[in-house]
Amino acid sequence: MAPKRSPARLVIALSVAAALAVFLLYASIAGGGTPMVQPSELDGRTGLVTLAGHVVGAPTGDSYGAHGLRFQVRDIRGGATERLTVLYTGSVPDQFKRGRDIVVDGQLQSGTFVAVRDSLITKCPSKYAPDKKSS
Amino acid sequence: MPELGRAALLVTLGLAVYAVVAGAYAAHMRRRRLALSAQNALIGAFGSTLVASAVLLVALVRNDFSFVYAAAHTSRALPTGYTISAFWGGQEGSLLLWLLVLTGYAAGAVLLNRRAARDLIAWVVPVLGGIALFFAFLVVAVASPFATQVAPLDGRGLNPSLQNPYMMVHPPLLYLGYVGLAVPFAFAMGALLARRTDERWIVSTRRWTLVAWTALGVGQLLGAHWAYEEVGWGGYYAWDPVENAALMPWLAATAFLHSVMIQEKRGMLKVWNVLLVLLAFSLSLFGTFLTRSGIVSSIHSFTQSSIGPWFLAFICLVVAGSLALVFARLPILRARSRLESLVSREATFLYNNLLLVALTLTILWGVAYPILHEAVYGEQRLVGQGYYNFFLRVFGLPLLLLMGLGPLVAWRRASLRSLALSFMWPFGAAFAIGLVLLGLGAGSSIPGLIAYTFSAFVLASIAYEFARGTRARRSLAGGSWPRAFSDLVGRNRRRYGGYVVHAAIVLLAIGVAGSSAYDTVRERQLAPGQRLEVGDYRLTYLRLDERPAANATEVRAVVGVERDGRDLGSVEAGKNAYTAERQVSNEVGIRSDLVTGEDLFVIAEQVNPDGTVYLRVFVKPLVNLIWVAGFVFLLGALIALWPDAREQRRLAVRYSRAGVPAGS
Repeated sequence: MAPKRSPARLVIALSVAAALAVFLLYASIAGGGTPMVQPSELDGRTGLVTLAGHVVGAPTGDSYGAHGLRFQVRDIRGGATERLTVLYTGSVPDQFKRGRDIVVDGQLQSGTFVAVRDSLITKCPSKYAPDKKSS
Repeated sequence: MPELGRAALLVTLGLAVYAVVAGAYAAHMRRRRLALSAQNALIGAFGSTLVASAVLLVALVRNDFSFVYAAAHTSRALPTGYTISAFWGGQEGSLLLWLLVLTGYAAGAVLLNRRAARDLIAWVVPVLGGIALFFAFLVVAVASPFATQVAPLDGRGLNPSLQNPYMMVHPPLLYLGYVGLAVPFAFAMGALLARRTDERWIVSTRRWTLVAWTALGVGQLLGAHWAYEEVGWGGYYAWDPVENAALMPWLAATAFLHSVMIQEKRGMLKVWNVLLVLLAFSLSLFGTFLTRSGIVSSIHSFTQSSIGPWFLAFICLVVAGSLALVFARLPILRARSRLESLVSREATFLYNNLLLVALTLTILWGVAYPILHEAVYGEQRLVGQGYYNFFLRVFGLPLLLLMGLGPLVAWRRASLRSLALSFMWPFGAAFAIGLVLLGLGAGSSIPGLIAYTFSAFVLASIAYEFARGTRARRSLAGGSWPRAFSDLVGRNRRRYGGYVVHAAIVLLAIGVAGSSAYDTVRERQLAPGQRLEVGDYRLTYLRLDERPAANATEVRAVVGVERDGRDLGSVEAGKNAYTAERQVSNEVGIRSDLVTGEDLFVIAEQVNPDGTVYLRVFVKPLVNLIWVAGFVFLLGALIALWPDAREQRRLAVRYSRAGVPAGS
């Protein structure tokens, strides 16, 4: 008679299978996340992306006003110098200003990056600095 | 002064090298005196690191801006408390803190175990020495906190977000947790190297693991509270990689704390426990790597630095070396017994472990996915909060249920009759509470309703366990009910401390479900005298106040609050403008209802020159239970940690049978 095997192995095998099934289910439903790009990598892409850029020039307008806040960004890494205009509404992080690196969700519409409301995040260039919308 | 700091770190580096080389040679050749010498070197490394830390602290407090680190993270106007917290406000100081805590833990572990677990500690010393060596190398050669310059007139100050009392304790607690996991890891590896694969390494490190786990848990809650009060976006956890970096080792350590009980009681899961402690420690290193390398896009703005590759290499070395050792020792890691039934206490522990590890690995996948996607496709792709929330429900809700089921199921094999008897009251209570909640409208969020019903079940099962145990104790020993209750907890602190921790997790679950699934938010621009209604609250913008503070100018919108026609006073929300740092920070206004646990949370998003303000207001039901959970968690952990003379006597008997002295 074959030796009796521990049910622990069966439990582990079934659990791994269940976890994989759940993961596949999620992946098939929700897709594979949002691409993160720099301004030069947008390249006509019009779907929802996360844009990482370096703020150049003075921001204009009011993020809670009728016309929103406008500012320009360029690539953080690499040598690309072209600028992209971002139209943003909603909460502006305390540390947002010219010279800061930012991350914002949105999509390209007629040459302007129209940001998702309240999605702007800034990054402090030199220090350990937890930022807006963090914990 | 900087020379003294650099020299002290060089001494630490030298002592760590000695602890590794002499310690390994002594353990291998069984040279007792040399092994003692290696242990003393590790204890000495704590002393020299303490000297280096004192030098940095003095430089910070004295505003000695000839230290680059002091100039970059403090200013003359910075209050003394925050000057001290600048120690861990930057990368170099953080790494020095890692080393200080590590050598402190190592010295403590050696001193407390050198007699009790002599053959084990001989191999633990070179492992701990190896980890200390890596961090000493980093602060000596890669990121020294003792770099000097011509002193500027004033420093750049500390980031305003970090000028908060929580930031004085949150990072050190996280470090106590991260680094503390090095102790069980070193003992596990020491046990494998010494070929001592019995339960002694687990018994020796149980309290160390509990201390690290408690510190990591409390540290995360303090960080969440800091984010809630200081960062001002209305939340407390954003599934950011840096936040996940602390959560993952805590989850793995939670699984470990449960599964070691199976090894202690039944001699099972030996390989699993070693792998879990390896996972927990590797994740604590990975967390430090994430926060320090800047490799993953994080809403926490840590600097991009050169230490990332060093960390990656060290993590690879630790994981590969440990796995090779486990593989080599597989023949002596066989279990003493087997799982007898899928319906038993050990089986519920196993399910709990699988769910915790699945949740940990899922979070790890979410964190690593952007890096892997970029490596394969050349473009980072981020997973959103939806990914994490989905898996938190998939794995977290069954985990919650298991917290109620596990304590009521017998070891080895549970009969249907005993299950029915044990579950009758908790199930009945949970069912009734679920129905009441449905009637009250909690069905608007199905996951929220499930979480609340499961929470009721867990709390009922904990109460049932305490009641059953107290009654049994009273019938055995007599006396009053409070005496029986106190005896019950005192005689099995680990078990009942664990139940108190379970109650804390339930409170946390209720708070998270309430504040995220049932919250309300409104926003609007207001001129003085105008009103805004949110939930049952009516807010009136009264005026704008401006006043000087120690190192900033404070601007506050004063907002009157009424609820159901009753005046509740006012809250203030606004901005602080920091002079030295040339930065502005949001300061939120929070009004907590201590009876219902609800918060009214006011953010002044914009303060305009014409006196108008743009307010965003949240009503967050039950959110204060999250913070209450922190106190209950700490209470449970302290009960489980408290020295237990009976346990020591039991261990003494066990070890005397095995021919070794007791202690832990």
